Amino acid sequence: MPDHDDMPELRPDPTDEAYRRAEQALDDAAARAERRAKVLAAVALKSAPAPASRPPARPFMRRYGGWLAAAGVAGISVLTAEQVYRSSPQKQQSPPPMVQPPAAAVQAPIAPSPPAVSSVAPPSQADRQRRPGAETADLAPPPAQARPPVTLPVAPPADAAPPPPLPIPPVERPIAPPAPAPFAAQKPNAAASEAAGKIEEETVVTTRRQAAPGAAPVAVAPKLDGARSLREAAAAGRTKEIEALLDLGVQVDAVDEAGETALMKSVQADQTEAAELLRKRGASLDRKNHAGQSARDMAAGKGDPELDQALGLTR
Amino acid sequence: MEPDPADDADLLRAHGAGDAHAFARLYDRYDRPCYRFIRRTLAAAHAEAADDLHQETWLAVSRNAASFDPRKASFPAWLFAIARNKVWDHLRRRKAGIVALVGEDDAVMAIPDPGPNPLDQAVSRELAQRIVEAVEALPLAQRETFVMFAHAGLSLEDVAAATGVPVETAKSRLRYARAALRQALADERPAHA
Repeated sequence: MPDHDDMPELRPDPTDEAYRRAEQALDDAAARAERRAKVLAAVALKSAPAPASRPPARPFMRRYGGWLAAAGVAGISVLTAEQVYRSSPQKQQSPPPMVQPPAAAVQAPIAPSPPAVSSVAPPSQADRQRRPGAETADLAPPPAQARPPVTLPVAPPADAAPPPPLPIPPVERPIAPPAPAPFAAQKPNAAASEAAGKIEEETVVTTRRQAAPGAAPVAVAPKLDGARSLREAAAAGRTKEIEALLDLGVQVDAVDEAGETALMKSVQADQTEAAELLRKRGASLDRKNHAGQSARDMAAGKGDPELDQALGLTR
Repeated sequence: MEPDPADDADLLRAHGAGDAHAFARLYDRYDRPCYRFIRRTLAAAHAEAADDLHQETWLAVSRNAASFDPRKASFPAWLFAIARNKVWDHLRRRKAGIVALVGEDDAVMAIPDPGPNPLDQAVSRELAQRIVEAVEALPLAQRETFVMFAHAGLSLEDVAAATGVPVETAKSRLRYARAALRQALADERPAHA
């Protein structure tokens, strides 16, 4: 701990005291209360969508969703092609009933399935050598790339009707990795970072960690909420805070776990000004809590003419 | 036994854990010096931005609560570093104020101590306004150092941490700021005598 003799700056200085008193003399309590209400309301609202509460399934879907969709499309395409091309030759060569079909025609459907249709597992090297032209079709379909060519089991006759178009177009959209979260808003100004030194650096690093794809959420998950703040402000009669919260979009009739609104809280606490303000801002008198009581019922139970007047129950 | 409720880091952690009142308590503890720091650093020319920057500062505190490490800096030093960055960003956007930093440390070296201190006078509202104006007329680096130290009660180490300079530099700035203010207030004195 430095000694005051060594550091005269630490001694009480009349200039410091004069400045403190000056600030005290210029203090504006009303403006301070208004600032307080706005800041706390803004913090409550902007803290609500916490990163930790995001659905955990999203990274999985972002990573695999495109592949699954592409694989599904490819599978449907292959099955459709199989049906189309299998039925076309049969139709063309189907004999009249009760007539013995030629041997070749009978063999066709029984013949080993074509590579494009039947291959599921990657073929062995020997298989590839046996069927050099079928390499592309044999490989597991790369869903995000071009649709694999379909090798027909039996070449359709020249006069056969062309097969109908495939109902689902092939998927060719490349699947991009998830875009990194934008940092522009958090990007520190270089000079300011230098000035703030390690403290600023730490803040920025943490922000990046939070936004890194796949990283575990580091940020705190403040569970403040504006509706709760509104009910608390109503019960305490803090009208400026009530106004600020409502201006920020908090629902005037938001309820707590007992089904009670801010207006009910203000009535229960005899906060006539808060009750009047809430009524003016559209709070319902007749909404009931889980016990079946409305703000109107609560006010009637109190029998306070001033409160009744604030609520607009008497004229 | 309950943890010390006066610990800023505890309040910040409680805020992170969802305690709705913890942040308000922390805010009530520092809002006044924080706001005045912002307001005085902006000076009259940018006074209209003070409320917004004050709010942005506290939102940043809330958002970055998890990154606060009490072993590296005190909460006031961290808070004022954030507030300072907000002010500087604002001034930089408006291309103002920063130029006052150049050469400021040598500018007031020769100012003599005018003698009797300002406490000898009653601090009327009018005089208070003049004192504040004198503070706002200080070079930016001296001003922020003086307000942090004299009003917000930060230690020189915290001021140095918040402004990113060595303690010796913070000490010099404080000394020059006081000298300049004494001179300014001495010039005021005849009018109020």
